[in-house]
Amino acid sequence: MNSLLRTIPFTWKNLVRRPLRTGLTVAGIAVATFLFSFVESMRDGVVKATEAGAAETRLVVYRKNRFCPFASQLPQSYQRSILNIEGVKAAVPIKIVVNNCRASLDVVTFRGVPDEGYLQEHIAQAQLRSGSVSDWLSRGDAVLVGSALAERRRLRAGDRFDAAGVRSWVAGVFDSDDAQDRNVAYAHLGFLQETAQRGGTGGIVTQFNVEVDDPSKMEAVASAIDEAFAHDQFPTTTRPESAFVARAARDVIVLVRFASIVGWASLAAVFALIANAIALAVRDRIRDHAILQTLGWTGADIAWMVVMEAAMLGAAGGAIGAIGAHAAIAFAHLNFTMEGVSIEVTASNMATVAGVLLATLLGAVAGIVPALSAARREIVQGFRTA
Amino acid sequence: MSTIECRKLRKDYRRGEEVIQTLEDVDIDIHGGSFVALMGPSGSGKTTLLNLLAGIDRPTAGTITIGGRDIGTLGRNALAAWRSANVGYIFQLYNLVPVLTAYENVEMPLLLHALSAKERHQRVTEALELVGLADRYSHYPRQLSGGQEQRVAIARAIVTRPTLILADEPTGDLDRTSAMQVMDLLVRLNKERNQTIVMVTHDPSTAARAGRVVHLEKGKIIDAAEFERAAQIAASGAHR
Ligand SMILES: Nc1ncnc2c1ncn2[C@@H]1O[C@H](COP(=O)(O)OP(=O)(O)OP(=O)(O)O)[C@@H](O)[C@H]1O
Ligand SMILES: [Mg+2]
Repeated sequence: MNSLLRTIPFTWKNLVRRPLRTGLTVAGIAVATFLFSFVESMRDGVVKATEAGAAETRLVVYRKNRFCPFASQLPQSYQRSILNIEGVKAAVPIKIVVNNCRASLDVVTFRGVPDEGYLQEHIAQAQLRSGSVSDWLSRGDAVLVGSALAERRRLRAGDRFDAAGVRSWVAGVFDSDDAQDRNVAYAHLGFLQETAQRGGTGGIVTQFNVEVDDPSKMEAVASAIDEAFAHDQFPTTTRPESAFVARAARDVIVLVRFASIVGWASLAAVFALIANAIALAVRDRIRDHAILQTLGWTGADIAWMVVMEAAMLGAAGGAIGAIGAHAAIAFAHLNFTMEGVSIEVTASNMATVAGVLLATLLGAVAGIVPALSAARREIVQGFRTA
Repeated sequence: MSTIECRKLRKDYRRGEEVIQTLEDVDIDIHGGSFVALMGPSGSGKTTLLNLLAGIDRPTAGTITIGGRDIGTLGRNALAAWRSANVGYIFQLYNLVPVLTAYENVEMPLLLHALSAKERHQRVTEALELVGLADRYSHYPRQLSGGQEQRVAIARAIVTRPTLILADEPTGDLDRTSAMQVMDLLVRLNKERNQTIVMVTHDPSTAARAGRVVHLEKGKIIDAAEFERAAQIAASGAHR
């Protein structure tokens, strides 16, 4: 420990007094760590959106074999039959209108929901950044806009909002823990059915969101619903919401999985960069190390100097890269929407911390072999080599 | 005060199959507080002997006892600690650490000593003043002349107040004036602080300022009488 502490000032000077070399190395590490943290944040977002929590109670009822919201058409009257099924607590008919059905980074999604009940229960007063649910109730063309969508489109209460052929008025903006909610505008169901002819008019909805009273009943309820309409003109497919999102986002999931490999590969690049920089530095400093040992510094001191220098390079590059990725994601409001379902990429603290720690650790590990060889080198050989 | 006793000192270097005998049966006593000049042709083993005395290299055979301690018995770390406490080494090519300022170079050996920051500052200042470089604290080695670099290196060697100063051609790369200054300084340290000095030199006038001259030839010590005779023969041979 003593050895480590007394070497740190010297290590520090070696780094800051060779600004070009240090700068270039740190920049390389930063770029690679940026990539890693960015991709990990993306993966984190996808995992959060698509993996079922233990307490999941929401099912989505969709038209069988249909994937675009416009193609999924179900009679609103199904609501009654669904509510009669054992284990169903609530069933909300929803009409979804999007400006783009395929995967895209700027999709506007309207969700038409009944006037009574749903939003009152769904959005607590505390979540409203502006406006109110009663403002929403007071106008037929009113929408309550999720915070992520509002930020992307710069919407505030009182604004007009025209998209996807829907001309609406913003009654308020709300926050939510749910990425799906943050990225939609809630409209009156009747209004959407009237104004957006595509996807069916009066009496037709896109899906039902069904609340089940007990997480363990999810599967049973889902099959009961699908059986009830199996021989109907409009058969259904019912899935847990997370599975529904995962299906819609399957392409994105594959893409992110692939990107994840790139992320880890860039960590390998961090290792290679540091290993190379340190190997060169140690070779350049054979004489310095021999001098220090002549003065009485020990092999352990030399080893610490090398390992710490490598770790500091990793820490600096890692911090810049990971925090940069964090900032870039926070700033960009990235959000994939496909088939009316959203996956939000939020800056993940885990990914940021992991980026910094891994870069530091890889740095230290990359320093070990050069450190040991520098520490073991005979002093006299050091003078003769240099 | 550290009297040095070398007994049957041998140093071989191995280069592949070939064994190079650099020192052979070197026996020498150096009294504590004396100033010894080590002379001899290039390749005769002067640097090798100095390195052994400094504890930065180990003999193939034989013993070195300094201040009553057989330094061959010390392990790597103990030897490092021993160097830190007892030895100041001055190199021919200065060997300052390029990334450190003059002040920091001189401070480096002190960081291993249990001193407060204030005491350390005092010692570094004192050493730099002694070598006449009080106005060059924040200069990097590349910003100093050769003579100045060597004086910083001397400050670094004496800042820990070692009992033994080893100098390998300390004036070899300096002009006459700088060389004189360095020699004055070494003589002064020897006289005033009673520090033992072993100095390698090629220059007889430099050697003359030491109290004693030891000659090395092909890895062997040639005693003074024998050296005189050899020198006379060589001289008369040259006249004939
Ligand atoms: N590490 C080593 N490996 C192999 N041979 C060595 C090594 N160190 C020294 N030698 C050899 O030992 C002999 C003595 O070297 P040394 O450096 O002690 O000579 P020197 O008297 O200091 O010479 P100079 O006056 O030129 O500095 C030389 O022949 C040298 O080549
Ligand atoms: Mg030599």
